[in-house]
Order: sequence, then structure tokens, then C-alpha cells
Amino acid sequence: MTSNDAHSKRRRRFDRVVSVFHQDMYRYATWLCRDPSIAEEVVQEAMLRAWKSLDALREDSAAKPWLLTIVRRENARYFERKRLETVDIDNLSPAQSAMLAEKDDSQLEVLRQAIFKLEDDYREPLVLQVLMGHSTKEIAELMGMQQGAILTRLHRARIKLKDVVEQEAAQ
Amino acid sequence: MTVSGKNMNCEEYKEAIAADPSATFEGADHAAACDSCAAFTVEMQALDAKIAGALAINTPNLEMPELPPIEDDNVVNMPFQGKRRVPTWLAIAASFALAAIIGVQLIGNEAGDGLSLADEILAHLDHEPGAFRETVNPVGDARFSRVVNAKIGTMDRGVGLITYAQSCVINGKTVPHLVLQGENGPITLLLMPDETIDMAKTFMGQGVNGVIIPHGEGSIAIIGENEQSIGEIEQRVIDSVEWSI
Repeated sequence: MTSNDAHSKRRRRFDRVVSVFHQDMYRYATWLCRDPSIAEEVVQEAMLRAWKSLDALREDSAAKPWLLTIVRRENARYFERKRLETVDIDNLSPAQSAMLAEKDDSQLEVLRQAIFKLEDDYREPLVLQVLMGHSTKEIAELMGMQQGAILTRLHRARIKLKDVVEQEAAQ
Repeated sequence: MTVSGKNMNCEEYKEAIAADPSATFEGADHAAACDSCAAFTVEMQALDAKIAGALAINTPNLEMPELPPIEDDNVVNMPFQGKRRVPTWLAIAASFALAAIIGVQLIGNEAGDGLSLADEILAHLDHEPGAFRETVNPVGDARFSRVVNAKIGTMDRGVGLITYAQSCVINGKTVPHLVLQGENGPITLLLMPDETIDMAKTFMGQGVNGVIIPHGEGSIAIIGENEQSIGEIEQRVIDSVEWSI
């Protein structure tokens, strides 16, 4: 097989099992780092890493958690590299503000802000469960934690969000 | 927290259902006999629908990065060696000769600020060799603007075809790392607004040669492959960059 054939074959597999998750990777990265601009960079780097280590993905069916793990690591690398400060909800960039007020729905915006403000430990499993559709067992594997700890975090995250929604409704 | 066990009490049930409102677990039938828990389940499922709506942000038109040929991956771990035409012994000898001629000490850690900065630049290039490839695909405007942002300054893109832009940490500071496609191959640029130097300092690494040029209060590193002349592009690069005050 020529190098061109090998490249084409690799590219076809990449498009089939990786590219289809591009948007999921972006959404996950956006909620991880809470900045759409950074998320784009993180996902670009993650895509490159996925391309280079595609051979490490033995089963195509395992592509999604594999890619989310890459995004997770790339996000950590990004923040390690940049030594960024934590996000200040009162001092958001235009991109962050646009992300929170994406739809003309005040209740949704309030909830989105509440999710935005959740501690990373609570926000990430929630995103993986609700947005990415992972089971608590899969989330535990992806985050390298015990399933019980994930359940506790999910429970606490929802109770926090429930409180916010109730407060909003009472106003 | 347990999610199993048929004899769940209300507290255990609520904890379990709040952890996963879609869950079907042993003990889930608790709600059938408990109005409070049944109402809580409905409430949690409604909240989850709202959470799903809040999380479903729009995605922009995502750009797929340029995917390098697989052969390049082999080069990644041994940067620049695949293209090196000058023998190692000659490169080393040349670096000693150059140091002697221009009076800049380039070997050894005691050689001063210019050296440590040059060392850091070379180490960084080893870390990001994937950037150093020939391509005709320009980096997107949005990405370029994020990297060469208002805190750094401005750069006239008329300087040439820029195919790579990444914010990188050099000497503890975040600086733009750009790759410009020169006439004889890719040239790496590091725009360092906070690295003040008195005079230009040249350096050589494994298969590369570079220069750090003072520019205002900062400096710019220009690095090409060993056989590549970067002198002709220096002024063009300098003229294209303005630091933010």
C-alpha cells in the first residue's frame, strides 16, 4: 500500500468514527472550559491528537468516550499551559456572554448561568450525563473516579440547580 | 449513596433519582407507593429537560485542523531530523564558529539571558514540531486574532503566508507562535513583547538556526532550517509587528 493509500484509508476511518463527533467534542469542551473561543482551540488540538493516535482506538464503537477523554486531557493541558485564572461570572468575554444568552429565554439563561457557575466537579459529570448521554458507570471510568462519587456529585449538582430554578420562580 | 436495594427510604430514593432521573434501579418502584417521591421524580425529570435545553448550545462552523500525512508523525518525535541536510558535526562546528565571530556565548547555561531564552525557544520548538511543516493553508482570521490579540499588538498579515498560530508559553509568558511559509520553507516566529534584549542574538539548534531581534521593548525570534537564510525576512517581520503599549 502506498503512503497515499494509507493516508486515504486513515482519513476515511477518521471521518467515519471521529469527525462525526466534532460538535459533541466542541460542546463538551465549551462546558468544560466555559469559553467558546478556548473550546475551539482545545478541540482543534484534540482532533490533531486523535488523528495521530487513531491506531490506539481499537474499536470504532468506543470512539466517543475515547474522544471525550482526549478533549478532557487537552483542556487540562491548555489550562496548565496558560495558567489561566478561574472564570469570573461578572466579567465575561463577549463570546461567553453570547453563549449564556444564546436563546431568547430568560429561564433558560438563568439555568445556563447556574450551570456555568457550578464547580467543575459538579458541572462535568452533569454535562457528560445529560448532554453526552453517558451512564454514571461510563462517567466514572472517563473521570477516573468511583461510581458512588459520581452519583453524589450529580445529586448535588441537580439540587443546586433546583434551588436556582425555585428562587427564580419565586421572584 | 446506594442505587440498589428494594427497601430504599425516601431520602435514599431522592438522592438516587436526583443523581440520575432517567435511572431504572432496584428500588425505583418506591415512588409508586410514595406521593412525595413520585412528585420529586416528576420534578427532577422536568428539571433535567430544562438542563438539557440549557446545555444544548449552538456550535459554530468548526474548522477541521490540517491533518498531517502519517509519515509526518514519525518526524514528530524526532523533529527536523528528516529534513536536515547539514551533518551534525558541521552544525556544531558552525555554532562554535558563529559564537566566536559575533561574541555571543551560545554554549553552556552560564551564558546569560540571551542563551536561556534561546534554549527555551529551542526546547519549545522540539515540543511543537508539528507546526513546522510546509503547507499552503493559511491560518483562519479568527484564530490569528485570538493569538495575536490586543494585549500583544498587531501584525500585518501582508508579511506572508501564515499557516500556524498558537499561543505558547516562552520564559513564563504567553506569546504568539506563528509559522510563516518562506520562499525556502517554513519559518517560525515568536512575538515576545516582554522580552527586552540589547542586541540581536543568533543561535543554532538541531537542524535549525535562529535569531532573536530586539524590537521596541520586546523582541522577535525568527527560526528557520539550517540551510535556510532567514536574514532576508528579518526586516519584513520587524516592520509588520507593532506592540500594544
